[in-house]
Amino acid sequence: MGEENKRSQITPDLDAYAAHLKSESCRPVIEQGREYGQGPLLRMKLADTIMKLCQANSLWPMTFGIACCAIEMMGTGMARFDISRYGSEVFRPSPRQSDLMIVAGTVNKKLAPVLLTLYEQMPSPKWVIALGNCAISGGPFKVKENYNIIEGADKLIPVDVYVPGCPPRPEGLIEGILKVQEKITGIRHPIPQNRHPKSPLKKVKGLRVK
Amino acid sequence: MAKKPKDYKEDFLHQGFDANRTDYNRRGYHLEVALNVNQVRKFAQTAYDLGFYIVFIAGLHVRPDEEQDKRNSGLEVVYQFSRYDQLYRIKGCVSVPNTHKIPSISDIYQGADWHERETRDFYGVVFDGHPNMKPLLLAEEDPDFHPLLKEEEKLKSLDEVSWPSEIPEAAKKEAEPETGR
Amino acid sequence: MLESEYQEHNRFFLNMGPQHPSTHGVLLIVLEMEGEYVLDPQPVLGFIHRMHEKMGESRPCQSFMPNTARMDYVCALPYNHGYVSLIERKAEIEVPKRAEYIRVITSELNRIASHLLWLGAYLLDLGAFTPILYGFDDREHILDILESITGSRLTYCYYRFGGVYQDIDDTFIAATRAFVKRLRKRYSIYEKLVTKNIIFIKRTENIGIVSPDMALRYGMTGPNLRGSGIAYDVRKNEPYSVYPEFDFEIPVGEQGDCLDRYMVRVKEIEQSLRIIEQALDQLPDGPIRAKVPKNIKLTPGDCNFAVEAARGELSYYLVGDGTSTPYRLKVRVPSYSNLSCLPELGRGILLPDLVSILGSFDLVIPEIDR
Repeated sequence: MGEENKRSQITPDLDAYAAHLKSESCRPVIEQGREYGQGPLLRMKLADTIMKLCQANSLWPMTFGIACCAIEMMGTGMARFDISRYGSEVFRPSPRQSDLMIVAGTVNKKLAPVLLTLYEQMPSPKWVIALGNCAISGGPFKVKENYNIIEGADKLIPVDVYVPGCPPRPEGLIEGILKVQEKITGIRHPIPQNRHPKSPLKKVKGLRVK
Repeated sequence: MAKKPKDYKEDFLHQGFDANRTDYNRRGYHLEVALNVNQVRKFAQTAYDLGFYIVFIAGLHVRPDEEQDKRNSGLEVVYQFSRYDQLYRIKGCVSVPNTHKIPSISDIYQGADWHERETRDFYGVVFDGHPNMKPLLLAEEDPDFHPLLKEEEKLKSLDEVSWPSEIPEAAKKEAEPETGR
Repeated sequence: MLESEYQEHNRFFLNMGPQHPSTHGVLLIVLEMEGEYVLDPQPVLGFIHRMHEKMGESRPCQSFMPNTARMDYVCALPYNHGYVSLIERKAEIEVPKRAEYIRVITSELNRIASHLLWLGAYLLDLGAFTPILYGFDDREHILDILESITGSRLTYCYYRFGGVYQDIDDTFIAATRAFVKRLRKRYSIYEKLVTKNIIFIKRTENIGIVSPDMALRYGMTGPNLRGSGIAYDVRKNEPYSVYPEFDFEIPVGEQGDCLDRYMVRVKEIEQSLRIIEQALDQLPDGPIRAKVPKNIKLTPGDCNFAVEAARGELSYYLVGDGTSTPYRLKVRVPSYSNLSCLPELGRGILLPDLVSILGSFDLVIPEIDR
């Protein structure tokens, strides 16, 4: 009777679980994630530059909002911060139609296979932004008694840009997208857009609003 | 309020339960009912007939009582019910026997379905008569992993985590339930 | 084909989620379908289970504050409120009046923000792209106001045991009054765009009717319950903080369909604005935080505290053991009970109606999974 009450169960080894998931899935897809599959037959620098410019200027994110950071992601897509000025015109629900995965939230043991399935379904070239502290390293849930949280999305999939914050501001996510664009093309924002619109609350004296 | 507030202690005492009034301002509920394993379903049926809604079912892990070691697993299940039309919260508390099974109330209160599955996930208490005792919040691969069970050194006995015996003033208050802070 | 063979061929299982634009979080619903009709929807939870209750038991009670905000991030301040009030009830701490008023004002602002987000997201599920832009625009104003005193946009940890963290100043009061005036002028936009829209009415009227008896058996609370005609609101039935000093109504629906739940929430926004106005008028001076020992010892015994979150009755249950770490902390979230009626409610309905019902319940999955 007493033995049943004793915590004889060992807390699940989450790093081993993450590594096991990674090994089971198709390795070539994850390793060559950002290459063009086999590679083009003929490689011309001008064509490459134009392709990269087009890709960088129209990154379509996938709607994979998991937790709190999802609200900030939605807020970035809305009228005030407007992510579509930077090319992300639509958030596609289907992974087959998107090329940017924004992991916004905590990755769970139960959610890890889902994340991998979605990542594999995305056609390459694809990029990943880890939004928020939970996706970077487990965030506020990286504790001694952790039995469920995978500490960071990069234990499962290769991540390009990390945006810290809990949750990060929408400006932070926009900066993350600009960094991905810089990673693709080498230039920060290939075709510059207009500046941030002013908030009507600026009329209230003393309230500091961007 | 249009209706005069009613005290439900008599209704529960009439059915044979061990019901005690508590001080709402210190505890947050009005009636505390100590239940036997066999009384759980009757308690739920009484509450349903009187018009209470189910608030939650929670588990609690304490050190098993040394005298009753053979009959006591150290797990407690707490039920809480409340009303829509009047402020009255009742708490029912039952000790789980060492078979880790207690009767389910999910046919009387369908909302208890998920609460009982969650208690099984976290504590390992199996509810007899529940249609679908599968993991709810935890992964299906580890049905035997019960995270909220405490380690041996952190366990405390039920007396150490209960209120000391009631202050005489609270026991003297009759009839009118308190309406808040 | 024989009719029975046709039915055989038409039966299949469909997975809705966990990645889905309309499930408001990571929720998997396994639907047993026959053609376009849903035979049996079974929600599968646990994709965002973040061990909040375990964390509550493993560290001193002060350290649980960030967790309260992250359970329901859309409307985090009532969660803060419930937890600090629970510890204050247990440790018998008296909160100054000014702090209580500030708590009420900020909680009600957060409730309005939550309802605006819900409105936008619900209509996005139904296929309308415009209302979410308006809803988020108004919500951004609230976030600016709250950010100026709390420091965060979303997951607030503003309340402390015995009061609040920082005092409000004249800028906050002026901005809040300006916002109240502005939102009242915007009602006509929402009414013309949404409430009087025939497409919206056709998609929500007589769909997902919840009877009062069903609500009782499942323990539903909040606007979902009030849409069915039962006027239960924790702020009126079990008053806490300074709510008894304000004059506001509880909007109630008649039938319990999606349209009633929508109307209840829209009317609640107006009631929240009334509370905020009255609180700003009656705001007293004084300290904003009581003197509290650094290490609060929780006396042995259990304690319960209920507040009205945007989604229903939120209840914290604590078992103390004499140290400053709770022995057991149970959080009873409203969406848990609200969602558990889906298998019964969703039997035999069309799939688009299921989307409409799910949206009208206003679920936030991380609070269900805790």
